Amino acid sequence: MSKPSDLTYDAVVIGAGHNGLAAATTLARQGKSVCVIESRDGIGGMARNAAIAPGVVAPKMAHLLYNLNPKTLKELGITAPKSVSLPTVSLADDGRHVVIQGDLVIYADGSAHPEAATFAALHKRLTKFAALLGQMSLKTPPSLAGGLMDMATLQELAGLAKLGIGLKRMGKKDMREFLRILLSNAYDLILDDFADAPLAGMLAADAVRGAYAGPRSPGTVFSMMYRLGNGGDVRLPMGGMGAVADAFANAAKLAGCDIRTGCGVAQVIVENDTARGVILADGSVINARSVLSSIGAFQTMQMAGVQHYDTEAVRRLRNLRNKGTVAKVNLVLSGAPDFVGLDAKLTAGRLLIATSATYVERAFNPVKYGDMSNAPVIEAVIPSLSDPSLCSDGQHILSANVQYVPYALAGGWTPAARQKLLKLTLDRLEVYAPGLGRLVTHSEVLTPLDIETQTGAPGGHWHHAEMGIDQILTLRPVNGMARYGFGIAGYYLCGASAHPGGDVMGTAGRNAARQLLKDGVLA
Amino acid sequence: MSAKIKAAAVPMGLIETPFYPRLAALSRAKSWIGWAGYISPLVLDTVEFEYFAIRNQATLFDISPMHKYRITGPDALAVVNRLITRDIRKVRDGRVGYAMWCDEDGMLIDDGTVFRFSQTDFRLCCQEPMYGWLMDVAWGFDVVVEDESDSIAALSLQGPTSYSVLKDAGLDVAEMKPFDWREVEPDLWISRTGFTGDLGYEIWVPRDHALAIWDRLWAAGADWGLRAIGGQALNMVRIEAGYIAAGVDFQPVHAVMRLHRGRTPMELGFDRMVAFDKGHFNGRRALLAQQDAGQRFALVKIDIGGFKPADGALIYHRKRTEVGHVTSGIWSPTAKRNIALAELKAPFGISVTTDLWADVYVHEEGVWRHKMVAVVIETKPFFANTRARATPPRAF
Repeated sequence: MSKPSDLTYDAVVIGAGHNGLAAATTLARQGKSVCVIESRDGIGGMARNAAIAPGVVAPKMAHLLYNLNPKTLKELGITAPKSVSLPTVSLADDGRHVVIQGDLVIYADGSAHPEAATFAALHKRLTKFAALLGQMSLKTPPSLAGGLMDMATLQELAGLAKLGIGLKRMGKKDMREFLRILLSNAYDLILDDFADAPLAGMLAADAVRGAYAGPRSPGTVFSMMYRLGNGGDVRLPMGGMGAVADAFANAAKLAGCDIRTGCGVAQVIVENDTARGVILADGSVINARSVLSSIGAFQTMQMAGVQHYDTEAVRRLRNLRNKGTVAKVNLVLSGAPDFVGLDAKLTAGRLLIATSATYVERAFNPVKYGDMSNAPVIEAVIPSLSDPSLCSDGQHILSANVQYVPYALAGGWTPAARQKLLKLTLDRLEVYAPGLGRLVTHSEVLTPLDIETQTGAPGGHWHHAEMGIDQILTLRPVNGMARYGFGIAGYYLCGASAHPGGDVMGTAGRNAARQLLKDGVLA
Repeated sequence: MSAKIKAAAVPMGLIETPFYPRLAALSRAKSWIGWAGYISPLVLDTVEFEYFAIRNQATLFDISPMHKYRITGPDALAVVNRLITRDIRKVRDGRVGYAMWCDEDGMLIDDGTVFRFSQTDFRLCCQEPMYGWLMDVAWGFDVVVEDESDSIAALSLQGPTSYSVLKDAGLDVAEMKPFDWREVEPDLWISRTGFTGDLGYEIWVPRDHALAIWDRLWAAGADWGLRAIGGQALNMVRIEAGYIAAGVDFQPVHAVMRLHRGRTPMELGFDRMVAFDKGHFNGRRALLAQQDAGQRFALVKIDIGGFKPADGALIYHRKRTEVGHVTSGIWSPTAKRNIALAELKAPFGISVTTDLWADVYVHEEGVWRHKMVAVVIETKPFFANTRARATPPRAF
């Protein structure tokens, strides 16, 4: 199927993660010829399955879906795999685990939670605010470059105006509250209303999921809302995250994209300040009228060459905050574990170890100094309980995001350090599931450094760049580059470091491709 | 405050240049200013004596306070070309090029001179401190940037007899053309450059050779009317030559706080200094966009009627609409004209060049008068003399 190399594609997309595939599909569905280049053997980036032991398929890195946008899926012609909505269980040291599903909160034993009404009210408020912000996510961030006398700028501002109108429509009380909390920290917001216990811990942990931030860091209320972008539903895809990536890839193929794996892009060809194609690692050349990159923003710059970028842009990209703080620990279990106080349905849920907001903040402290948390925040899920097809012979896979783990560990990521991380994780899990350790037949530890090595995500950061208030919207990835166009004409950033950011949703890729078309690059 | 700050540990006040002992001995006016942290003469004797010495004899001006940076390494040429707007590949080894450099918005950071030793070795000489910026420009390139501001002493020897002074000092520069650059003796570099529009040279030595070269030139200059001068006379001749000054005719964009105070090379009349065809350089895309959209301002040379210096005067169109202002203005004793550089808002100075007026204010012993005076835009420098370019130079 692949075209002879003397042909010129309309677009080459670097990286076959969900964003690269979403960008490719968007273009292909507009009749453009597109080639996706992936350096690794498989597609999917962070959303991949891996056979980590005989008869066991694990979600290699990402394991849950949060913000998958139905509008994006429909637009791209993606048939998403079936998925189940998981309850969240915030584990408690006293065994009074808290179950959260949507805006409902109860104890795991079925008894009522005293803060249920408070939680429902907060959830409602934040979801409303999140929806308001969410409408920005499908648009290119506005530019004011033309000044207020410029028609194009005024059209840009229409999006912001809509946000403003939406803000006004909420009424004075909500508007004030939105503006009061938007830039503040999750810790204060949570503890205004909640006792510092597992429910508060769950809110705090979700506010800083994947971030180099503790709940007391400014801007974490924003990331809390970001989590709730599509209502905050946590879903487990059947067939694993790999099935989600496959769905993206199938849509791309259906739209007519070529996908080439196993040989990455070594360099972007730039002629006369215009992207003209790519040179692959094996020296072969693919000509194209445009190039989209779903790798990190800094790496995207380097792919073309620093000499093509203004000094200020280089300085900003060099200083992009993208230190990953989450390790992935995959445990192969010989049988289903027994979490004290949880029935089978809840054991299959999203299990959180974040016993209080203070616990989460304390877990963040060591990473600032290059150490891992001794009492980490863990988000564990056993996908094989919901999807038995993943494992054979009664085996199970426990997939855990362990936070906070530094990208650059003091002393380096030695085998002993990895062993320590594994033991810390197991010890924490053992508290709630005694005997779990004895079930472990195989384990895999992926530090942020490993995640970077295996996916190219800078710093091993989920979102390629921290979702801080200084790195979102018109400042994402950096000031002056928020509109996907990446300096060189016909060169576009379409990965998680572009607006609206990370999570397996493909919106950044879709937005970038649409902006490329709007800019008339392929006209 | 109990903390005791030792004077030796933290130098207070202005720093003496390497030539200060000679300048201090010659200073009758005792008129000093701070220049980049150094003590520098505004006037040594009288500004009239000094001005006429530049135009009729030879003069020494201490330019040691200029910032000097050495850029060396395999990528030095690439870094310099990334920094400046013109194409340094077209400046040969042993030559000097006037250069401008811009921020990402195409706004001028500073202008200066680039001295090319070889394609792996350059010196940048400029008004504003630039080390941090150069380090950022050089990031990712194989070069070393060294701040030579304090280690290199420099003198500007300018005027019609300047060649003769050098000759009598035993320094042979007869074959040097304008913008040539030679190591005339070990550790003694001379460039045929200057800020006067006239015949002149700049002399560059290690700091500890400073007084020796001063004394050598001073002795040789006795028969050629050599005088030491301050910055005020120099400012007059640079306006006559049509040269722009940082912080006066344009605001270095890194030093301004307000929005839209920056200016592009085109807006300063230096379209020819921008080589769009050399590949990417800082601000290229913004400058291309301005080329399409049109410049917002035009810096022009103007002749103002009458003889009252019009520095700072507002410029009007049809005596009604304010369209700009004078950035530098003097009565030119050589041209015998009232001259200035002025910044006009587009389209004035570009497509609309007539019916322009300067509102000149004159203070006469406690009484202010003002008058609308006709303005004529000039394209050539107010001072030009063939002796400036003759090679070998004439005796005077």
